[in-house]
Amino acid sequence: MTHDSGEVPIIELRNFRYTYLEGTPRASEAIRDVSFEIRPGERVGLVGPTQSGKSTVVDAFAHLLRLKPGQVFYRGEDVATPGYDRTGLRREIGIVFQQPDSQLIEDVVGADVAFGPTAAGLPAEETRRRVEESLNALNLPYPEYRLRYVHALSGGQRRRVAIAGVLAMHTPVLVLDEPMAGLDPRGRRELLELLTRLQRDRDLTLVVCSASLRDASLLCDRFVVLDRGRTVMDGPVHEVLQEADRLAELDITLPETVNVARKLKELFPDLPTDLLTEDELEAELLKRLGAA
Amino acid sequence: MLELQRNVIFGQFIDTGSLIHKMDARVKLGATFVFIVASFLIDSFLGFALVLPLLALIQLVSRVPLGYVLRGSRFFLGFLVFILFFQVLFYPGEVSSSSYLWRWGFLSISTEGLYTAGILGLRVVFLYYVTTMLMLTTSLVDLTNGLELIFGPLQRIRVPVNELVLVFVIAIKFVPIFIEEVERLARAQTARGVPFDEGGAFKRARRLGRLLVPIFISGFARADLLTTAMNTRSYRGGSYRTKLRQLHSAAADWLMLLLVVVWMLAAWQLPTWLTA
Repeated sequence: MTHDSGEVPIIELRNFRYTYLEGTPRASEAIRDVSFEIRPGERVGLVGPTQSGKSTVVDAFAHLLRLKPGQVFYRGEDVATPGYDRTGLRREIGIVFQQPDSQLIEDVVGADVAFGPTAAGLPAEETRRRVEESLNALNLPYPEYRLRYVHALSGGQRRRVAIAGVLAMHTPVLVLDEPMAGLDPRGRRELLELLTRLQRDRDLTLVVCSASLRDASLLCDRFVVLDRGRTVMDGPVHEVLQEADRLAELDITLPETVNVARKLKELFPDLPTDLLTEDELEAELLKRLGAA
Repeated sequence: MLELQRNVIFGQFIDTGSLIHKMDARVKLGATFVFIVASFLIDSFLGFALVLPLLALIQLVSRVPLGYVLRGSRFFLGFLVFILFFQVLFYPGEVSSSSYLWRWGFLSISTEGLYTAGILGLRVVFLYYVTTMLMLTTSLVDLTNGLELIFGPLQRIRVPVNELVLVFVIAIKFVPIFIEEVERLARAQTARGVPFDEGGAFKRARRLGRLLVPIFISGFARADLLTTAMNTRSYRGGSYRTKLRQLHSAAADWLMLLLVVVWMLAAWQLPTWLTA
């Protein structure tokens, strides 16, 4: 895959609307109006409270819904045109779902991670290499975990197997739906390091869904904020965080430093809220204390 | 495939607030029972033709869209046609040689075979329709209460009615949950390169096999969770339980039941009278 120009967005949604079970008495409107573009190599956080439509948007990326034409585009092509190569699309967009169990296909770890590359028709040698590389990257040593039963692993380990299965596909786009849920602090840190490293080494386009800006802010440079099926904010991390009160109203978990800054605003009304690290917070506070 | 819920509506409840929805659950259960008995007694096309207007009336009054019911029965009807096809081919009954339309070895198509298969098909469709309508128009709470009240007297002879009804209702309640689960699994596996939405019917059916193990595992996990939840909330069945919602039957309810009984008797007996 060539990442030629930053001109054509890799993923684009145009006034995307989606209603589950449309035309039946059980219809439920999940997406009312969502538009955004993602350019190759971007690291985008898709943030919103529950029921905001994040998972539906993720499903739309890989054409896993009954899409109508003119709404979802991959590299400038409408994925809903008849005859569009959906299998090809799904080999370009790797998705790690919220529940890892749903995407584990084979019973044994090694076979499961090999599933994607095998289905894509890669030679056995290359497949084996990718399985080893992906499992090692997720701290599941290949010789030890290769023959373990998937369903006998812990929740955190199963999530890592699911991620390994997607990594082995070497997709240019990686989408993770609530990747930090159910991981302990150490697991989170490791996953964070891995994703940062991968994104840099492989020039990935990364999309992370979360109800928590705390997690997403560590991985992403830009946020798209959804609420009840609409895009309500879209911009660089610092820009979005300046409206911290609005985010808090939407029931989005904010980074600790931002929460502290929101409280301290009572004392320093001009204190910005887009402070991601303690150092930034400290510097801003010192500035104001020095002035006082 | 990706929207299986459209094609399988068994066990779902659609609240349109219609007259039928408001009927006493016991009466609805009673009427369904009458329908089921009738479906075995009626054995002529004329009889089923007589049943049809009543079913149309029920459909109309219930305000559940007909298109939704038909779409939701696609899988079931397809399967039925498939079975009836073999019923015709392997018809075992007495056949006079003049009524063979086609014959090859032990396979044949005869008017008798077609007739029996037709009646059998109508019977199954009738059964399926009334039970589906019962569930579409009755909430699970009402269904549970109705069943418990109807079979309640059996508790005196130590039949565990509450437990049996609970198991039955949970089993029905799990069907839509399972369907949703299959859908979610199919979507996730499609994302990994098993194209559930492509290929012919046979290929699609074979891919379904891949869902079996995960669906079993999640099924057991769900059952386990439910048991724990019920235990922690001190569930116990039997006569200790009281009802928050009492069922009330009005005279109109019993009139409806009477109407159903009379109508079914007519559909059963009229054809024999007419032909005699």
